[in-house]
Amino acid sequence: MGTAATKLQKDQLSEYQELTFLTKQEILLAHKRFNELLDRNERQQLSSRVPMNKICTLPELKSNPFRKRICHVFSTSELKDGSLSFEDFLDLLSAFSDSATLEIKSHYAFRIFDFDDDGTLDSGDLEKLVNCLTGESADTRLSPEEMIQLISNILEESDIDKDGTVNLSEFQHVISRSPDFVSSFKIVL
Amino acid sequence: MCSAAIMRRTYKKKRMMRRMSLFPHRSTLGNLELTRDEIQQEVENDTHELVSELVNLPTRARIQAIRALPMTFHERRYVRGRVMSVKHSKKTDMLPMCCTDCHQQTSLFFRRFSASVATARKRLVIWQDALKEIGGRFGTSVLSYFRFLKWLLMFNIISLLINFCFIAIPQIIHSPNITHTVNFRGLELLTGAGYFNQTVFFYGGYNGEVIVSQPPYNMQLAYFFTIAAYLVLCGVSLIYSMARSFQKNFVLVSGPTYGGAWRLLSSWDFSMVNEKAIQNLKNNLGIQLKETLSERLQRKATVSTSTFVKRLSLYLLAWTLCVGLAVASCTAIYFLQSHQSKLVLPVPWSSDDLGTEASTLILPVVVSLINLIVPLIFSLVNKMEHYTNPRTNIYIGIMRNVLLKISILGILCYYWLKDVPSTIPCWESFVGQSVYRLVLVDFIFCLLGSFFGEFLRNIIGTKCIPSLGVPEFDIATNVLNLIYAQTLAWIGIYFSPLLPIIQVIKLFIIFYLKKVSLSMNCQPPKHTGRAAQMQTVYLALLFFTSFIGALSLVAYTVWSLKPSEQCGPFQGLDTPFQAIHQWMNAVHYIPGSEWAWWFFEHVLRNELFFYLITLIVLILTYFLWQITQGRKQLIRTLREQIVNEGKDKTFLLNRLQSIQKQRRAAAAFGPQEFSERTYFNQNWMNTLPLEM
Repeated sequence: MGTAATKLQKDQLSEYQELTFLTKQEILLAHKRFNELLDRNERQQLSSRVPMNKICTLPELKSNPFRKRICHVFSTSELKDGSLSFEDFLDLLSAFSDSATLEIKSHYAFRIFDFDDDGTLDSGDLEKLVNCLTGESADTRLSPEEMIQLISNILEESDIDKDGTVNLSEFQHVISRSPDFVSSFKIVL
Repeated sequence: MCSAAIMRRTYKKKRMMRRMSLFPHRSTLGNLELTRDEIQQEVENDTHELVSELVNLPTRARIQAIRALPMTFHERRYVRGRVMSVKHSKKTDMLPMCCTDCHQQTSLFFRRFSASVATARKRLVIWQDALKEIGGRFGTSVLSYFRFLKWLLMFNIISLLINFCFIAIPQIIHSPNITHTVNFRGLELLTGAGYFNQTVFFYGGYNGEVIVSQPPYNMQLAYFFTIAAYLVLCGVSLIYSMARSFQKNFVLVSGPTYGGAWRLLSSWDFSMVNEKAIQNLKNNLGIQLKETLSERLQRKATVSTSTFVKRLSLYLLAWTLCVGLAVASCTAIYFLQSHQSKLVLPVPWSSDDLGTEASTLILPVVVSLINLIVPLIFSLVNKMEHYTNPRTNIYIGIMRNVLLKISILGILCYYWLKDVPSTIPCWESFVGQSVYRLVLVDFIFCLLGSFFGEFLRNIIGTKCIPSLGVPEFDIATNVLNLIYAQTLAWIGIYFSPLLPIIQVIKLFIIFYLKKVSLSMNCQPPKHTGRAAQMQTVYLALLFFTSFIGALSLVAYTVWSLKPSEQCGPFQGLDTPFQAIHQWMNAVHYIPGSEWAWWFFEHVLRNELFFYLITLIVLILTYFLWQITQGRKQLIRTLREQIVNEGKDKTFLLNRLQSIQKQRRAAAAFGPQEFSERTYFNQNWMNTLPLEM
């Protein structure tokens, strides 16, 4: 391994520390793990991107049903292919870290669950979400009637202004009432 | 930092967020019929405002604020760069003064220092990786059990440290050569008697002499204040964490929560990484969602009177059975204990008779057996009752178990404090040894329980009777066992100051044992959710039953019981608390400290003083309660307001659409200028946050 080329610069490291919720060790670990996903000759420059399917091979994301959504939300790629640069990767880890605020966490959770990227959770998004959460097997999958019932329950509870969809602040309101969220919205390398 | 700045900052963040959610992708912008330049202008204005807000914040708050902006890394870096450049340009305006430079340097130093302290603290945390692995495989609810264990371990390590430093070490240095009349035989490790009897492990190993040094070290006071300080420390940290957890998990959780919204929107455990575990979680979530749905339908159906009466009589029967069982086991323990003391008493502890010594182990074994078997019967009873709500089911199970454990400990303590002091010469050591035996046998039973209860059950469930399946990890029972063990440790702290050693070793081993047992034999519990709320319940149990119970026991011993005459630090006094009286009397004669004596005599020993304090606390509580009521009212009003705003919004949307339709109709006749964008994205309006 070319050690000198793959090391982070000191000022860069302190900038990363200042702009994310990660500690120095976490950033260094993230850098190491990210470099393992890159080819040897791509390691030189920081702007190299790792394609989505390679990110999804990380053991922390491999079995997560939302892995593709996570990549899409955190990717800044122009092509919208869900590929992540190192800085995007840090963003991801920062939002999922222990010290990130509830506001940041719920913001990104909302965007991950917003499957069609239109800024609200409508019944289509909720249906996809339920399908992601429950298994594929026949006895756990909800029937269409149950699905309709469930979605109407959710809207009844969380759609405070009764416009048929859950928007960001309504979502954050629900989240703030479920204290388990902060501890479960967490990915640690 | 002034609160106005914080408020502005949060407002600012809200604004930035709105921008993010308004335009998740630039492609939808066309729908708003705004030109690209206008949008850019708008964005630029926003950023400018944000930057000028951030510049005025103090450094630390600014870093936090930038960090917490919900933007991509690049945008944050851009904002930071602009803030920095504004800062720099401002600085060059001023004359570079030595003072500001110095200030900058120190603040930079402190920031670096605090960052490195934070990293060091993270490194010091034990079991970081183990906890991560457990969370990844079994989810947050199981993780909460291990966190609880770790937390208890911290308590015991602290108590071990202070007891060792302030009581044990001075005593060892003072009189290092205790002549051992009894040889070490190995059985002492289990019974705590014999060889250990005269060591610093128990109360009897201390004497109340003033150690001659400069200044003199008063052993009586040291013993009293160390134990008191530890108990106060435990109480304060328990109240603190309980109140925090209560505020987070109960007070904020108000409003309708019966449906599946919270479960759905916030239940995915992103920390889970194990493939099989995730599959399990998905299945469980599916089943849970189905259950909540059917429950809701059932709730609407009314229960007929006959089934109601039937159910009520079933509950009554179950409760009678459980209370009866608890009472029966208490009676059994009491008789066994008094019978045994008659058996043992004629030959006191110095005897070499192994049989007598071993027979002292009967009682702890019986207690642990009861603790093992009776909860199993309780859970069988619980299964028969068919509560509609699974949470009621869990709470009732916990209540019964707690009842059993409290009554067992209560009867033991009654015996120790009522019968023992008058009959046994060095009774504090005797009680300490009894507690020691209970703690140790409980530990052995925990090991055996993990083996037989989980390992064998797994083999039976997978090999012999497949319908049973793999056993579930029962968090409630395991946590209750931990609470029971901790209660014993707290009770024993006065009688055996080094008991925390055993507790630390025990918790340490239990951690690894449960971890292995969990990954080999068990599956994570099916009914999860509300883990944080359960955590609060456990904390409350730990505080109200366990800690308060142990505290009152120790307080009663110190205030009202006569310490034994032949051994211990308080020999020759009427009550241990008299040591304080004597000390205060001595203080009285030191010139310049009469006020301390006066305070002690007239305030601390005065009932009226405590009466007044209680009154003030009650009044304060009443005021705070009134304030909460007022806040609740306010929340209700705001909620209604939001619903009205929503109605306004839909009304305006409809109006807008009808106007657009009219325009389109007009455009069909006139020139084609309106034809390019007439599609209106309905969802756009929904992204406007509620300004609360």
